[in-house]
Order: sequence, then structure tokens, then C-alpha cells
Amino acid sequence: MESVFYLLDTAPYGSEKAFGALNAAVVSLNRMSVTLGLYGDGVYLAAAGQNSRKLGVPNLADILYAYGELKVTVHEPSLVKRGLFGETLIETLELTDEVDFFEAMENSDCVILL
Amino acid sequence: MKTLTITLTDGPYVSEYAEIACKLAENAIGRYQVNIFLYLDAVHIPKKGQNPSFFTNAGELFSRLAEKGAVIRACARCAAARGYLAEDELTNEGNESNCRDYYPGIKITSLYELSEMLSKSDRVISLSM
Repeated sequence: MESVFYLLDTAPYGSEKAFGALNAAVVSLNRMSVTLGLYGDGVYLAAAGQNSRKLGVPNLADILYAYGELKVTVHEPSLVKRGLFGETLIETLELTDEVDFFEAMENSDCVILL
Repeated sequence: MKTLTITLTDGPYVSEYAEIACKLAENAIGRYQVNIFLYLDAVHIPKKGQNPSFFTNAGELFSRLAEKGAVIRACARCAAARGYLAEDELTNEGNESNCRDYYPGIKITSLYELSEMLSKSDRVISLSM
């Protein structure tokens, strides 16, 4: 496999899934072309200005900033449904429409659901 | 021989994914080198001493798979978070697991091994709720 698409549809901080998806995506960077796809509630990870200090857990946005080489694609219709489309988002992320999002999944050698 | 990697993220009994993964792996062994990577709550699957009333013991299923040649690894960070610790001296003593709480044949390893498994695979199956 030369490429992997990690699909995250769970909001950050409520469970370990977003942290797990980011970790798995980052460690895969040295061997494969990696895309992290944010879908459904997963798009909350795209919000700028996250502050997790009071939760006592890592700020997941910091991981995204630290690994700028990680391609992160955000499902735009999911953002719209959640009223996030006009909000400030992390600038390194790429917004994609329905067609392009699923095309990116199809074009990857494997898809890992988290 | 081609390589098949299966990733799991859920614990046993909350779904049938552990059992499905076993059936897939058993069917593939011989035609594929089979790898299974246990991530997040799936690190509970190989725990010793399970006694489910209505289901097949998932830990025993996975241990038997390892005996048949499947490479089964659990994420170290996820395992430590849930109280399963890797101890190097256990493998040095010839134990087939590096965790005293795990069934033989299943080892705790770095997440980088997931990346290695995926990159060397011809087929990947991801089972997650």
C-alpha cells in the first residue's frame, strides 16, 4: 500500500478516537501518502482556537499545526450542517465537496475507519 | 505470499467485529500472511481470564489465530492507558507475549508497526463502530 485514508467521524475530546486518528495518521507519514478525512462530527476538529487546557488533554489542533505535511480534508457539507461553514477554521486544512471527498477515499489504497 | 492486514478499534462483545476478524483471518491464513492490529479499545481483546456467558472467548480465538501464524499486535499507548504493560523481560524468557495479562502470541508494540503493516499489505480491512 502506498496511500492510506484515515476517516474520522467523531468529534474531538469526547472520546479517544480523534487523538487516535491523528496519532495513526502521523506515524504513517514516513511510509505512505496519508490523508485524514474529517466527516460528520469529525469536522469539529477543524475549528480554530481550540483550548483543551481545562480538559487536561492535548490540544488536537496543535498536532495539526505541528504536522503541516499531513493532508487533512474536511467534508464541507458536514461543516454546513453544523453551522461551522462561516466559522474560522484551521488554515492548513482543505475543504472539499461531497464528490471530491469520496474521490479522495476511492483513490487511496486503503481506508481505515476510526 | 500476499499480505492481509485487519485493524480493529473496538473491544470484544460490544460488537461482532472481533469474531468477524477471526473468521476472515482463519479463512485467509495459508493464502495470505495475516496481520491484525489492535487499536484503541481493541487492546482489551487479548486479555486473559475472560469468561463471557453467551459468546465465544475472544482472547482464546485470537491466541489460536496467533498459533496458526497470524501476527497480532496491540498499540502500546492504548494498552498502557488501559492497564496492559509491555515487559521486555517476558519475551526474553521465551514467553510468547510481552504482557503478562495477555494470552500467548499477542504482543504490545509501537504504533509505528501499524504503519509498517499497512505499507507492506496487499489488502487491508478496517472494522470499527
